[in-house]
Amino acid sequence: MNTVRIWFSKKGEASYISLLDLQRVMGRAIKRSGVPAWYTQGFNPHIYMTFACPLPLGQESLVESVDFKTEEEHPDFEAWAKALRGVMPTGIEVNRLCSATRKAEEIAWSRYTITYPAKTAGDAARRYNALPQALVEKKSKRGVKTLDLKEYIPRIEVHEEAEGDCFELLLPAGVSFTVNPALLTGFLEKEYGLEPWNARILRTELLTGKMEKFE
Amino acid sequence: MFDPALREALANVQKPGRYTGGEPGCVYKDKEKVDLRFAFCFPDTYEVGMSFLGEKILYEILNQKENWWCERVFMPWLDMKAEMERLHIPLYALESKDPLTAFDIVGFTLQYELSYTTILAMLDLGGIPFYAKERDETWPLIVAGGPCVCNAEPLADFFDMMMLGEGEEQLPQVCAVVEQAKKEGVDKQELLRRLSRIPGCYVPSFYEVSYQPDGRIQAITPREGAPAVVHKAIIKDMNRQALPTHFIVPMIGAIHDRAQVEVLRGCVRGCRFCQAGFLYRPMRERGAEMLDKAAQDLCANTGYEEVSLHSLSTSDHSQLEQVLDRMNEWMPKEHVSISLPSLRIDNFSESLIEKTTKIRKSGLTFAPEAGTQRLRDVINKNITWEEIEKTCSMAFRDGYTSVKLYFMMGLPTETMEDIEGIAETAQKIVDLYYANPDKPKGKSVQVTISVACFVPKPHTPFQFVPQDTEESLKEKQQHLLHSVRSRKIRVNYHDSSTSFLEAVFAKGDRRLAPVMVAAYRKGCYLDSWSDCFHYDRWMETFREFGIDTAFYANRFIGLDEITPWSHLDYGVSHEFLVREYKKALEAKTTQPCNRQCSGCGANLLLGGPCFEYSKDLVQ
Repeated sequence: MNTVRIWFSKKGEASYISLLDLQRVMGRAIKRSGVPAWYTQGFNPHIYMTFACPLPLGQESLVESVDFKTEEEHPDFEAWAKALRGVMPTGIEVNRLCSATRKAEEIAWSRYTITYPAKTAGDAARRYNALPQALVEKKSKRGVKTLDLKEYIPRIEVHEEAEGDCFELLLPAGVSFTVNPALLTGFLEKEYGLEPWNARILRTELLTGKMEKFE
Repeated sequence: MFDPALREALANVQKPGRYTGGEPGCVYKDKEKVDLRFAFCFPDTYEVGMSFLGEKILYEILNQKENWWCERVFMPWLDMKAEMERLHIPLYALESKDPLTAFDIVGFTLQYELSYTTILAMLDLGGIPFYAKERDETWPLIVAGGPCVCNAEPLADFFDMMMLGEGEEQLPQVCAVVEQAKKEGVDKQELLRRLSRIPGCYVPSFYEVSYQPDGRIQAITPREGAPAVVHKAIIKDMNRQALPTHFIVPMIGAIHDRAQVEVLRGCVRGCRFCQAGFLYRPMRERGAEMLDKAAQDLCANTGYEEVSLHSLSTSDHSQLEQVLDRMNEWMPKEHVSISLPSLRIDNFSESLIEKTTKIRKSGLTFAPEAGTQRLRDVINKNITWEEIEKTCSMAFRDGYTSVKLYFMMGLPTETMEDIEGIAETAQKIVDLYYANPDKPKGKSVQVTISVACFVPKPHTPFQFVPQDTEESLKEKQQHLLHSVRSRKIRVNYHDSSTSFLEAVFAKGDRRLAPVMVAAYRKGCYLDSWSDCFHYDRWMETFREFGIDTAFYANRFIGLDEITPWSHLDYGVSHEFLVREYKKALEAKTTQPCNRQCSGCGANLLLGGPCFEYSKDLVQ
């Protein structure tokens, strides 16, 4: 049995597909593509899928992945990727397929590009950078915790691009601890009135604890 | 990415996936290159609308034409409606995100009466005036189709045109006429005159309705050369009508989120309460090979793992076993299972159970509709207790432990004895379970009875009868609850006030149009959702307009009275409806169409007999 990892982008319309829905969407897409996925053998057979580090609703990504199993000894990744490309919803683009060698648990960091409309974020960034601390409330299953954003984002370096005001973030993103970039856009809304729906959050890279690219 | 206002709205609502489009299977075209744009509007939420087979059929047919583009529009839920109003986002189609006003035709499907004010809400969100007379040719043509068109007179003043009958051939004809008219630049009146010549196309403004002093209709007079009677459109041979094989697959789920294959259209049974049974006559089947191929293609194109064999009465298909045998050859290895949603208790066989439950086994659902044999004969639901007993015993032997039964109350001639009969039927099924020596150890049976309030509908033999009053229905509901003594029996019943409103609209006329507008202004829309149903506001509005709701819902209609739907013909003759009504009062049954022709008149739609009566088609 081989475990195959599909790397895909999730943008535009597709950024509004929740994880629960994405499981159904991917299951059906794999089935439509004719790729020989392995089905669970239980009472309710289904394609066994694992999503590494799922994305919050409304955020976009260039580096989403889903693993499925196959009994095919020598998977033809090129051909499978081609078959999958024809069956995806708008906004999901299959980038490539590979063998899943690293485990999803190894993911520890995620890199993001945040884009605000041109000439809207500079002032807020300067004011943020001058703060001694930036406290936000982080909700999790275990309750609400106060967190200082400055610990994870000491400075925001805005650069003006064609798409607007951009900056990069590197945040913890793992099984045990994650900082959602929406905490920052929420903070910038609360403190400086930057509308969060104008912020495009794009995940660009997943990294391991040793800061190696997760593949 | 979407425009900022839409992004803001989506950030503030539940289930934004309802409003984004982009699902696998949806069709995108270059709007600069298409000659005709059609907005297919479903006046309910995404999840309800995406379950509807008719939309899938017509979406595929219209989009097959390269220069036409059919898109989908649904009613946004309350949170999204509020956001759209706040941010001035007009109601848009999911594919292009263009507002309704960008379309040539805006078509609504009328599936049930309680969606009527939702249509107004959608027009309003789209910035389109309600009344047809307020819209010239610069506005999209606003049209309607679907079963409720058989008497959508309460909406007659809002629609430019309504389509009676089946849309597969009719709707492309309509689109072709509109495309041509657009090229020629003809005015709206001329366009409507041209449309009124297409079979089944009804232009309400071409008919003058006059009333008697007592409120009944005096006459319905056609003008502008419109036909005195509009006859529904029909697909004569279902074997020549391809099935849709490219469903849009919803990503956030839908009520019916599965492949649907329409095995037959119409119904042979002639249950006297059932409007669909009369509107879709005569029954026409598709062959086993065609159905099997369509199911296979549909699963391959959609990735669905469940196929439902869809129709008003699937077990009446003369080749059902062959269909299932063919499908069972490929389904297990494709991990596809099958469901039969509309089974009859009287022809449910052991092999049918076996062929449909290879993969999964769920509960069993049947509709005896009435609790006593006498009342079942009145409504022509030709099933007996012996048949119910046989089927349930069989199902219990096969390991089923739950049975759901559908009933109605408020049926014509009904007495308290018939209500007690509902409870007794359920009790006898519970007893049956415990009489089975092989019943699974430690498992108990669950019998659920679901009781709806009967709504008399146009074009049925019961169109003449008054609806039972709310007081009487409530009394009957209480009596039923008292008659049930086992904890193995669960009773669900409907709120009688929604059924009452449904009855008013079902048999309503054009005088209800301003009431609907006023009720909508008071916040009445999405009426079929219990949290959005405001009965008090409705009743208040009727009072304000001096409308006696009982005139519509609780009045006996004379057998020779001109009804609001007298000029709308579905192939079933008035004489037949009267004949069936009189037989009902005597509790006399009528044979299913495939066994014996009762002369309803629908055979004229096909130009010959509906069945070869020499062959015995009923098992």
